[in-house]
Amino acid sequence: MIGTGTGALRLIPFMALLLIGRSGLAQAPDSTATPPPHTGPDLPQVHGNFSTDAQYYRVDSVIGAEVPDEKMGINAWGNIQYTQGRFTAGIRFETYEPPLLGYPAGEPYSGTGIGYRYARYSIDDLDITVGNFFEQFGQGMAFRSFEERYLGVDNAMDGVRVKFQPTEGIYLKGVVGRQRFGFDDGFNNGVGIVRGADVELSLTEFLPTAFPAWVEKGRNLVLGGSFVSRYQEDKDPLRELPENVGLWAARANYTNAHWNLYTEYAYKINDPNASNDFIYKPGQGLLMNATYSTKGLGISAGAHAFDNMVFQSDRATQNLFNLNINFLPTLAKQHTYNLPATLYPYATQPNGEVSYQGEVFYKFKKGTPLGGKYGTKLAVNYCTAWSLDSTAMPDDTLQFKGYTTAFFQRGERQYFSDFNIEVRKKLSKTWEIAATYLNLVYDIEVVQGKAGAPVVFADMFIVEGLHNFTSRNSVRFEVQHLRTNQDKGNWVTGLAEFTFSPHWFVAAMDQFNYETLDESFSQNGEEVEVKRTHYPIGSMGYIRGGNRFTMNYGRQRAGIFCVGGVCRQVPASNGLSISITSTF
Amino acid sequence: MRHSSSATLLFLAMLASCDIVEFPDNTGNGGGPAPEGPARKVLLEDLTGHTCNNCPAATDIAVDLHDVYGNALILVAVHATAFAEPAAPPFDNDYRTIAGEAYINTFGVGSLPAGFVSRREFNNSVILGDGNWGSAVADIINTPADMEVLFNTVTFDPGTNTVNMTVQVIPVNDLTGDHNLTIYLTEDSVVSAQIDNQQSPPDVLNYVHRHMLRDNINGTWGEPVISGAAAAGDTLTLSYNYVLPAAVIDPAKCSLVAYVYRTDNYEVLQAEEVKVQP
Repeated sequence: MIGTGTGALRLIPFMALLLIGRSGLAQAPDSTATPPPHTGPDLPQVHGNFSTDAQYYRVDSVIGAEVPDEKMGINAWGNIQYTQGRFTAGIRFETYEPPLLGYPAGEPYSGTGIGYRYARYSIDDLDITVGNFFEQFGQGMAFRSFEERYLGVDNAMDGVRVKFQPTEGIYLKGVVGRQRFGFDDGFNNGVGIVRGADVELSLTEFLPTAFPAWVEKGRNLVLGGSFVSRYQEDKDPLRELPENVGLWAARANYTNAHWNLYTEYAYKINDPNASNDFIYKPGQGLLMNATYSTKGLGISAGAHAFDNMVFQSDRATQNLFNLNINFLPTLAKQHTYNLPATLYPYATQPNGEVSYQGEVFYKFKKGTPLGGKYGTKLAVNYCTAWSLDSTAMPDDTLQFKGYTTAFFQRGERQYFSDFNIEVRKKLSKTWEIAATYLNLVYDIEVVQGKAGAPVVFADMFIVEGLHNFTSRNSVRFEVQHLRTNQDKGNWVTGLAEFTFSPHWFVAAMDQFNYETLDESFSQNGEEVEVKRTHYPIGSMGYIRGGNRFTMNYGRQRAGIFCVGGVCRQVPASNGLSISITSTF
Repeated sequence: MRHSSSATLLFLAMLASCDIVEFPDNTGNGGGPAPEGPARKVLLEDLTGHTCNNCPAATDIAVDLHDVYGNALILVAVHATAFAEPAAPPFDNDYRTIAGEAYINTFGVGSLPAGFVSRREFNNSVILGDGNWGSAVADIINTPADMEVLFNTVTFDPGTNTVNMTVQVIPVNDLTGDHNLTIYLTEDSVVSAQIDNQQSPPDVLNYVHRHMLRDNINGTWGEPVISGAAAAGDTLTLSYNYVLPAAVIDPAKCSLVAYVYRTDNYEVLQAEEVKVQP
């Protein structure tokens, strides 16, 4: 995405972010930020921030947009943080009166109340948090408590966290608590208790004298290990369910000036749960990433395999957005352009997936034939994901193991592939342009749960441009086209975004689902009448100091939003939305 | 070093926090002992639909639970949501009821399979996935009941397809609050198409639908049986004459399910089931 400083369609509310585009998705104010370093007298400080997304809905029979009884929805969050020396306390008020349509992704939110509160202090090398907190071990395969506010995903812990550094280079963490589960005039907690510990050893910090060359050249090896356990009472009269389910993980990360090599392995004991049909097979996961970077060149490669790795603090929850203890990242590129980001996003299949990805970034230098006067940037990326090679166990009536697996061996079903290439070039002092091509294979039946739907094969072409009229005023535009014979057929999107720094921006966008240029459309093997639908939306915003106001009016299309193979229907809507963010 | 020793001990203690189950079958436990007085029965409403491919597996769990608890667990399959809408043949039957649709709208059921276990919150939710049914049933069943619900008389006239019934509600303890009595008509073993992802191919034409809700005899939300308060030992009697709807295939497979619930939170306090043709 070519940067323009602001971005009219970058701070639109939740639905628009999902279905219009996630480019420049606004970062939710961090209510758990580490207190600032202790540099002066212990004067108390109070800081905070506020953000709200509200929408007034209109009926739109063309796109099936409905209106709730309340006519409008509003989500709002207000953080207040008190800091004095090494002590910090914070609280977050939340309002959903009612929540925006389709929000949140998991357990419902309603009413007004406190969604997050904590107190934290550090003394010597001990750091203690009581109340709510977010935390992560390694890359999250064992434990990750986090918030994606605009999706309505929040599995904040409510309990105790202790961090301790017994000596230079050794870092210990311990967490105990329950996870957030919905909101009803205040946050609720899930039924399971989560206990976790993590230890990390940074070799050159721990033994600098033993590795003087490493210290001098900026090399390091970090080793880590985690253990996380969930307790949930078993009352089931049919099966004996494990009340304490443990997961351990080990990781290593080598870095130097050019290389970053990371690997992590995790193993989970029997964890019968709703997502794996209550089988008693252990789970395991392995991920590996390698990146190389030097001036003008970057290369990355990654691979992972996950088998039966859903780990939630309620074994019976049927929603993969709720109560996740761990996090399994996808290797797929997270596109920011509207069409690839919102029509066919890929999410990890946590109960069985093998995936690989590679990416090369290269900058052609200025003055070379391909670099021209200002240089040229090229990025090529490929990712693919497959089922795990597994075989159902016959006569599985005693131990309920479910299936056997050839770990890290891919099965026969391809879930996803994405080949994309981007070229970016500054043409002159006032013009910059980018062109992108994507080729997508998307098993919509697996990823979005559309039973019987054929695999989507899509090609996309995107052109983006930026023109600076003056040092303050600019226009950014995008033209995107998606061609496919499956699902909803062809799309074209146009976007123009004018910025008048430092205060104003105005934008207009239209998504046009024209399906096909023919007179009939073959949808899932059946000839249907062509329906051509426009989704126009306009946006404007004003920024002053720490305050930002954004207003949008138009259509937002219905769609599917998926995480981990569980998909949520996001309803179509039409109306006026307003967003405000503010900090102090 | 005291800090690091404590941390090490904590880490080791957590390492022991694993329960590995070699042989999970637990059905031999039989549901535990019953209390001395009247015991609470459980109403499990299995929300389902003929195009819900995961619903038959959930129904299997309900039936397995019934095998464990016998008549102390009452099953009702409520066909509702878009999964129960008539579709292209062979799924062109409509087993939805007005009451069933009202329940899923009132409780906000968004996906199937799901169910209500005596409409009581379990793990902060009234809507329960099938993975929670067993635990939620175990939480209630065979606990002391606040009341008894009895079918005092049930007679069926095959000539007019009419069933006459008298239902008695007898509080065991003094009760306060408003309580309603609702009576269901259910039909067992209705053979009809169902998508079942446990089968290959998944379209099962002669699937046997169990305990299907056919109608509400006294309205979606029943009618008041306790208004304000009732004393232990009071006998509250209600009588009904009811003509079976034309959709019923076999009266011999029909049952009546009566339950009393609190109107403030919908929790079902007691339930009873009897055959239309004893």
